[in-house]
Amino acid sequence: MNYLIPLMVVVPILAALIVNIFGGNDKTVKAISLVVAIAIPLIAIFAAVGVQYFGGHDPALIASLLPSNLVGTLAASYNTGIVYIFENIERIFIFLMGIVAFLAVLTYFAEKKKVSGPYLYLIFMGLASVTALMLSNDIFNMYVFFEITALTQVGIIVASSTEDNYEIAMKYMILGAIGGPMLLLGIGFILGTIGSVNINDIIYAISNNFVNPYSPSLVIGFALILFGWLYSAGLPPFHTIKSAVYSKARPNGSAILQGFSVLCMFAFGIAMYKIFAYIPYFNTAIILFAILAMVLSITMSAMEVDFRRMIAFLAVGELGFIALGFGIGTQYSIAAALFQATNEIVITALLFIGFGTVYYLTKTSDTRKLGGLIAVDSTMTIMVLLGGFALAGVPPFNGFQSKLMLVQAALDAGYTELAVLAIIVSVVIFFTFVKAFHTVYLQPKPKDLKFAHEKIPKATVFSVAILLIICLVLGIFPNIVTDIFITFAGGLI
Amino acid sequence: MDFQMASLFASGAFIIIGLFAAVFIDNLIKKIIGIAFIEEGANLFLICLGYKAGGVVPIFMLGMSADWFAANSAYPLPQALVLTSIVIGASTLAVMLALAMVLYRKHGTLSVSEMMGDEK
Repeated sequence: MNYLIPLMVVVPILAALIVNIFGGNDKTVKAISLVVAIAIPLIAIFAAVGVQYFGGHDPALIASLLPSNLVGTLAASYNTGIVYIFENIERIFIFLMGIVAFLAVLTYFAEKKKVSGPYLYLIFMGLASVTALMLSNDIFNMYVFFEITALTQVGIIVASSTEDNYEIAMKYMILGAIGGPMLLLGIGFILGTIGSVNINDIIYAISNNFVNPYSPSLVIGFALILFGWLYSAGLPPFHTIKSAVYSKARPNGSAILQGFSVLCMFAFGIAMYKIFAYIPYFNTAIILFAILAMVLSITMSAMEVDFRRMIAFLAVGELGFIALGFGIGTQYSIAAALFQATNEIVITALLFIGFGTVYYLTKTSDTRKLGGLIAVDSTMTIMVLLGGFALAGVPPFNGFQSKLMLVQAALDAGYTELAVLAIIVSVVIFFTFVKAFHTVYLQPKPKDLKFAHEKIPKATVFSVAILLIICLVLGIFPNIVTDIFITFAGGLI
Repeated sequence: MDFQMASLFASGAFIIIGLFAAVFIDNLIKKIIGIAFIEEGANLFLICLGYKAGGVVPIFMLGMSADWFAANSAYPLPQALVLTSIVIGASTLAVMLALAMVLYRKHGTLSVSEMMGDEK
């Protein structure tokens, strides 16, 4: 048994509880948080690939204890407990999310004199939830952790104490309280048809024709789960609320929230692909929402004067690229989507934290009131610019490699128009970012611009530098991850 | 109409009524009640799936044979799932009500359109 697999979930949950208890003691909370935040990516690195059967419910053991009238039936092959599967692909995502969480916590400590136990509780609880979501091979268990993630996301917005954060939190809750039960209903339809919520069991039952793959209940189940997936990822029609959520959190919180969304999108996207890829129009539906996400979010970002909202829309638009890769549905396109998801976690974290320093310095995110910030910290300015290049897909950064893969995959699959669209959207992203960057950093400083802080904390500069290095390394040596993604996508197809 | 079918119709009614309230009613508390309806409708739907006419409670007792139990007990998985789902629903509801209290203190109204009207 590989104890490190459940530890990836247990450690952040324990950390969450402990930091909440010691909320009043800054030194203890900081020490525990940093140790745990370093430990999580390390556990992901050292854990061996494997399967964890909770409650000792190994199917081979259970099969030997079955009543005679169940032997040979479909139910006899079912997993009776929750199963976690840890492969190299989960290792990459959990490692990167752990790194982003560590850097976000570090930035939070540097920018906030008095740390909040509940805020850190929410970060660690959310981290535990998305990790469990990634590992779980059980769609109901995924739903449970998705709901916990959604609650922690709301908590992070509320704890951020920004203007109108309660209104946005409530809107997100209301939409989530509709999206969540729809997901549950979808799971119910699958359970009612197949009798299991384990993904492998469902695939086994469908692929061996124990159930009619085109039964209305399975198709309705797919539609409802697709609705839940759109909500979890923030794809249209949920793109405006998702971008509002990112813009209302603290910059380090936004970095984490976006990471959570990408992991939710990945986990449910893979589960949907495994179960429902045979359904006619599955790919068309995903492509449709991908195009909507790309076009709507990028258009809205181009019109924004609030830079936090602009980055939030750009982040949601980038999710469209991930969905596009899933929708095209070839081995190479899925690998490209996974690579894009990896890059999205890192690049948007860089931009939220890096551009967030402008808000830290001036307490405003309105680009019309900003200017001349290159004079405050030129290093940070350059790093933010390079982060924007990575987002837009400029070489030699990771965003370029994943978008190139995506365009090549679209062309190989005969979707020339999608390849052209992806390139056009990337160009718009580039110009939108450069326009905002020019306004905030390069144009003359307005006379009435006042500073809340004079300097950017070193820890924040360090965090952004680490994220930029990851972007560069993944851009120059994409094979570190793409080989794993291509192998995984091959297995999926 | 048997008991299972009646319960399925009831769960459908719960969900439709809840969706109507959550989408069309302006009062925040009524919206939240609507959302609770949706959640309970989904739970009732799940519970119905495990129903077995004439079945026994899925608890293995002394004196039962394994074969008889497997043939006659209700399916326990939906019940276990609903138990978890109820806890999640209660947590979601608690957070929404807490937010509703804060928003009422801030805006002095429970009208969602008035609350969100001045939100940028």
